[in-house]
Amino acid sequence: MKLKTSRLRRLHFRGSSCVIGAPYLWTILFFFIPFLIIFKISFADVSDTSQPPYSDLTSYEDNHVNIALNVGNYLDLFRCEDEEDCNVWKIDYDFLNFESVGLNIRDSLKGFFDAISTEFHVTIYIEAFWNSVKIAAVSTLICLLIGYPMAWSIAHSSQAMRSVLLMLVILPSWTSFLIRVYAWIGLLKPNGTINNVLMWFGIIHEPLNMMHTSFAVYIGVVYAYLPFMIMPLYTAISRVDNSLIEAAEDLGAKPFTILTKILLPLTSGGMIAGSMLVFIPAVGEYIIPELLGGPYNILIGQQLWIDFSNNHDWPKAAAIAVAMLLFLLVPIIWYFKQQKNEGVSK
Amino acid sequence: MLEHKDGQQKKEVKPPLLVIKNLSKSYIPGVLAVDDVNLTVNKGEIFALLGSSGCGKSTLLRMLAGFEKPTSGKIILDGQDLSNVPPYKRPVNMMFQSYALFPHMTVWNNIAFGLKQKHMPKDEIKENVEQMLALVHMEEFADRKPHQLSGGQRQRVALARSLATHPKLLLLDEPMGALDKKLRTKMQLELVDIIEKVGVTCIMVTHDQQEAMTMAERVAIMDCGEFLQVGDPEEIYENPNCRFTAEFIGSVNIFDGVLGENGSDFMYVECPALQNKIYIDAGAAIADGMKLSVAIRPEKITLSKEKPQQECNFEEGIVDNIAYMGDVSIYLIKLQSGQIVRTTLPNVDRFRKNQPTWDDKVFISWEPDSCIVLTI
Repeated sequence: MKLKTSRLRRLHFRGSSCVIGAPYLWTILFFFIPFLIIFKISFADVSDTSQPPYSDLTSYEDNHVNIALNVGNYLDLFRCEDEEDCNVWKIDYDFLNFESVGLNIRDSLKGFFDAISTEFHVTIYIEAFWNSVKIAAVSTLICLLIGYPMAWSIAHSSQAMRSVLLMLVILPSWTSFLIRVYAWIGLLKPNGTINNVLMWFGIIHEPLNMMHTSFAVYIGVVYAYLPFMIMPLYTAISRVDNSLIEAAEDLGAKPFTILTKILLPLTSGGMIAGSMLVFIPAVGEYIIPELLGGPYNILIGQQLWIDFSNNHDWPKAAAIAVAMLLFLLVPIIWYFKQQKNEGVSK
Repeated sequence: MLEHKDGQQKKEVKPPLLVIKNLSKSYIPGVLAVDDVNLTVNKGEIFALLGSSGCGKSTLLRMLAGFEKPTSGKIILDGQDLSNVPPYKRPVNMMFQSYALFPHMTVWNNIAFGLKQKHMPKDEIKENVEQMLALVHMEEFADRKPHQLSGGQRQRVALARSLATHPKLLLLDEPMGALDKKLRTKMQLELVDIIEKVGVTCIMVTHDQQEAMTMAERVAIMDCGEFLQVGDPEEIYENPNCRFTAEFIGSVNIFDGVLGENGSDFMYVECPALQNKIYIDAGAAIADGMKLSVAIRPEKITLSKEKPQQECNFEEGIVDNIAYMGDVSIYLIKLQSGQIVRTTLPNVDRFRKNQPTWDDKVFISWEPDSCIVLTI
C-alpha cells in the first residue's frame, strides 16, 4: 500500500513538473533563444554582401578563430558624432527669474548655468526613446485615472450587470487591433466624425487639427490599452472585503479618506499590474504612432523599424531592441518584487 | 448572564440610552426584514439579539451602525435622532464578524485609525492607543500586521479599535463567529470583562444561544423581523412565551394536548401522546377544551426504573438511545405512543452502574411546576 502511494506520488510529481515545464519551454524557445540571436546581431557589422545583411561575429583565418564584437551599435545610440543623427535640447532657465520678488537668483546662477552647457546634444535614438517613455507614462496615468472608477463601478454592480460590463470592456478586442486604430482616423481626421459633429453644432468653425499629432497618439494608446488597466484593477477592487470599507466609515473616515487610506493601498497590486500591462507595450508601440502620429516626434518603435527596414541596418535595430529590453527590465523587476511583497503580506 | 456576587447592585435601574421606535426595514417592497421593532436599551447594558440566520437581527444592527437606512421608524441615541446621520458621524462603533482589520496596517495603526479621523493631537492618540492595547493585553503585538495574529488576538484588536474612539454604543456582530469552540468560551468571558470595565453600552447579534446567555444581561429573541420575547436569560429559558422561543433556546419536550379539568390554581392537560394526564399547579385564564402545548425541559424530567408513586406526570417507555456527553448522558425515551422524550441523567458515578441501558423499561416523571403552558 505504502509503495503504491509513493509510486503514485512520484507519478504525480512528474506530471506536475511537465505542466510547470511547459511555460518554461515556451519562454526558452520563443523568447530566450530569439533574444540571444538578436543579441548576437547587435554586435555585428552592417554587410551589403551577406544575406541577411550583417557580418558574422566569428571568422576562421590561419588556424585562428577571430571574434569581432562591434560595440559601436550601442555607442551610436548615445554619442553624437554624426551631426545629422543628433538633435539639440535646450534648457530654458528663464523660470529661475525671481525679479518680481526682489530677488535675482538668475544673475547669480547665470554663471553656473553657462558653465555647464545649456544645450544637450542627444541622438535621435535617445529622443525617440524619451518620446516613447513620455507617451507611455502619460497614457498609463490617464488609463489609471479613467480605469479606476470604471473598475470600481464594475466591481460594485450587480452580478448580472457585472458580466455584461466586463464583456463590454473585452468586446473591442474581438476586432483586429489595426482596424480599431484605423477607425480612429475616421473619427479624428479634419473631415472626420468628431470635427463634423462639432462644426454641425457650431461649437467650432474650422476643423480641429487632431490627426498626426501627439494628441491622436495619446488617444490611440489610452483607447487600445485601457482594458489591460481595467482588468487587474477590477480583480484587485473586487477582492477588497466590503466590510473593510464599512469599518473605516464606522470609525469616522470620510469617503475621500477611505479612498486614500484604505482602498488605494489595498488595490496597489492591481494598480501596479495594470500600469505595467499598459506601460511596457506602450513604450514599444509601433502601429498607433505610425497611423495616428505625425512625422515629427517619432517613437522608438518607429525608429527601430526605420533602421531595420529602410536603412537595412539590422545590427543597429538589434541594439535598439536590446537596449529597450534592458530599460524595461527595471520596471518589470520592480513589479515582481512588489508582487512578492504582496504575497508575503497576505 | 454572568452571575455576579454583587448581582443586587447590578439590578439598579439605569437610565435609557438607546430608544428604537417602530423601526422597520424592507429591501423588497412588501417584505419586511425588520418589522416594527420597539426597544429600549439602558446605559451600560449588554443586550443580545438572538435568532437564526435571516431573522433580521443583522439588518437591525446595520441600521444602528448606519449602513442601512430604515424604511420607517426612529433610532434615538442619548436624545439624538440618528435616522439621517451618516455612519462616519455616529457615536456608534461596530466590531465586525470578520473583524475587518485593515490588513495593510499594524495593530497600532488599526487602533489609531478612528482617533486620527477625529484629528486628535499625536500625543493624545499615542496615549489612547497604549491604553487600549493595555486594556486588551496586546502591548507586545503593536507592530504586528493582522495576518501575523491568531484569531483570538485579532478579535481583541478589533475590540480595541472599536472602543478607542469611546463610542456611546458598541455593536458586536457575531463576536465569536470566527473562533473555535474552546476559545469561544474563554473570549466570551474576557469580552464581557473588558466591556464592563469600559462601561460601554453594547448590542450584540448572535445565533448562538449559549453565547447570548453567557454575555448578555437581556436577550431579545427574533424571528421574521419581529421580537418574540425580550427578557433576561433566566426568564427566557424558564418562561418562554411561545413555542418558537421554547424550542429555540435549549432543548425541550413538547406535548400537544387539550385543556381538561381546571381551576384557579390547577389544571389538567390531556395529551394524546401520553397515557396519563399532566397536572399543572397553576391556573390558566383560558377556556375548557382549548388546544395547548406543554413544554418540559429535559433536565427537569426524572428517569427511574421503578414506577413513581403518583397518579399524574409520569409515563412509561423504553430507552431508545443514549448519548454520553461526559458530564451528563442524554437519554431518548420512546413512549408507548411512539413520541420520543429527551431527558438527561448526570453521570455522578464514574462507571455509570445501575443506570438504565438500551431497551430497558423505564419511567419518566416530572414536577407540576416544571411544566410550561404554551398557547401559541
